Amino acid sequence: MSGPDGNSVSAPVFDRELSLQALLEGCDREQLIHALAELLGVPFRLLAVEGDFACGEKLESVAARAPLCVELEPVAYLEVQDNKGTQLAAAAGLAELVLRGAARYLMVSGLHTQTVLSDYEELQRRHQALEISEQRYRELTQSLEQRVADQVGTIEITQRQLYQAEKLAAVGQLAAGVAHEINNPIGFVMSNLNTARSYLDELATYAESLQQKSAAAAAWREAGLDGVVEDFRDLLQESLEGSERVAQIVHDLMGFSNDDAMSWESIDINTCVQAACNVTSGEISRHAELLTDLGELPPIYCQQGSLAQVLLNLLLNAGRAVRDAGREDGEIRIQTRLEPGHGGDTDKICIRITDNGMGMAPETMARVFDPFFTTHDVGEGTGLGLTLSRDIIQAHQGHIEIDSEAGTGTTVTVYLPVSD
Amino acid sequence: MAEFDTHKNKLTVKLVYYGPALSGKTTNLMRLHDQLQAELKGEMMVLETNDDRTLFFDLLPLGMTAPSGLLLKLKLFTVPGQVAHDSTRKAVLSRADGVVFVADSQRTQSINNGVSFENLAANAARVGLDFDHLPMVVQFNKRDLPEVLTEQEILARWRDTQWPLVFSSALQNSGVVETFQELLQQVYRSLDEDYTLAKQHGLTAEMFVAGVMGDEYTQVRRRVANEPSS
Repeated sequence: MSGPDGNSVSAPVFDRELSLQALLEGCDREQLIHALAELLGVPFRLLAVEGDFACGEKLESVAARAPLCVELEPVAYLEVQDNKGTQLAAAAGLAELVLRGAARYLMVSGLHTQTVLSDYEELQRRHQALEISEQRYRELTQSLEQRVADQVGTIEITQRQLYQAEKLAAVGQLAAGVAHEINNPIGFVMSNLNTARSYLDELATYAESLQQKSAAAAAWREAGLDGVVEDFRDLLQESLEGSERVAQIVHDLMGFSNDDAMSWESIDINTCVQAACNVTSGEISRHAELLTDLGELPPIYCQQGSLAQVLLNLLLNAGRAVRDAGREDGEIRIQTRLEPGHGGDTDKICIRITDNGMGMAPETMARVFDPFFTTHDVGEGTGLGLTLSRDIIQAHQGHIEIDSEAGTGTTVTVYLPVSD
Repeated sequence: MAEFDTHKNKLTVKLVYYGPALSGKTTNLMRLHDQLQAELKGEMMVLETNDDRTLFFDLLPLGMTAPSGLLLKLKLFTVPGQVAHDSTRKAVLSRADGVVFVADSQRTQSINNGVSFENLAANAARVGLDFDHLPMVVQFNKRDLPEVLTEQEILARWRDTQWPLVFSSALQNSGVVETFQELLQQVYRSLDEDYTLAKQHGLTAEMFVAGVMGDEYTQVRRRVANEPSS
């Protein structure tokens, strides 16, 4: 039966009409035949109401028959070959009783089967609904975990950037203040030096004119003033060059603290590298020689301030590594190249910083990008330098590679894609 | 859905006594078995547990023959009233041609009556019966007990429904036959629509009722809601 609520019950309905054949299956057929044979004492048979033979014997002739009713109408006939009188009615009554018992049993067991099946189907339906809902919750939980992890990641990155941005802002402010303070004195020092040089030229001209006046010339020579003028010129020249360098550093420093440093623009990376070298050379030159080898590069769209920060970080790290190694032939090479892309990749700018400092053991290497991991003493490093550098490079769609060997040195390579 | 067996020329009709536990459904059937003088009356099959609760169903077969020779076989079932046996109720109600809802008149049973009636409507829908057009009689039983709802209270609640209302006391033998007769009238109309009993089989409503109940009951005074006795 297929109900309108969709549950298909394969068992037949319990209150269906029961045929003689079905009824005989609900009772002990052999015992019934045996009892009827005892009671009747003559050959007999049970015939379904439609006329089909059910059980008993083959009769040569039928002398009498009695209908057997289970509910209302006859379902079978009990037929005897020889009618000796009253025994037939009693036998029919017995058979009816047995068949009614069978009907009762078959209906109840049928109803039981029917309800068990429908209960089972109902259970299965509920189970299925539960499974679907459980699956939905599981997916929700999983995506929730993923979403929380994503959020935590975003927050961590933002925190690091915020931390660094604030630090940078503070350093920038300090640098801007210092630069501003130095800018004025260095201006007039340079101006004065220039003026002094021109005065010296005037003095030298005057000295020449003195050659004719022998006494004065003799005194000039006596004092060895020719050499003094010569030397004075060299001193002034050196001082001027030194001042220019100071002026350049101040200019670069001001560039770092520039508010526009975090904006995106198209720049030549080499300019950025040069600026970073200028700013750090004072620190580095005490321990190592800084060698630059800058190839020709296309302009690249980037955050100048952030990239300068990365280069500063890498150069200062290299400087410390060389210092800690205590070598006399300390050397830091910074090289820029344009690497053509392979396959469908775009071209890449490659910035390689190589030092011959202490290098790193593999277990240190494995952790260099971990936030707050540092090998430096308290106060010297935050452990965020490389972490932030990697974040910044990734923000530029690039990547960073580190190759190091303890005692030999470290090479850090930054790759930046050239956008079309 | 009555079952028409053309081969045996037999129409089997299923009538179900529904209602809350212990409202007197089995007693209704026993009274009918004792009193009716149907042309054909089978033995009553009672399946009770030892505390008088119906576990599966009770069955009373009744029958009569139309002038055309068509055998009309009526199977009267009761359902188990206890809430736990809902699957059994559903199986018994399945393919019913008529229903008697036996309610318990006691005040304390009002909620049980309501729950059972809602269960009847829900199960009817589940087994595919058109509840609004299903022949049905509502019987308020146990009128002999104290602390029962008054007839006015019950009428106020049921008057506006489409179902005839009968007050009864099955134990005291009142209202049971009237309820059944009321149901037979409706069932005849429904069967006549589907099987053209009058035209094709020469069977009128009076003949049908008389055949199933016995001649003496055709004149039984109907004690139904819209003409209550004094």
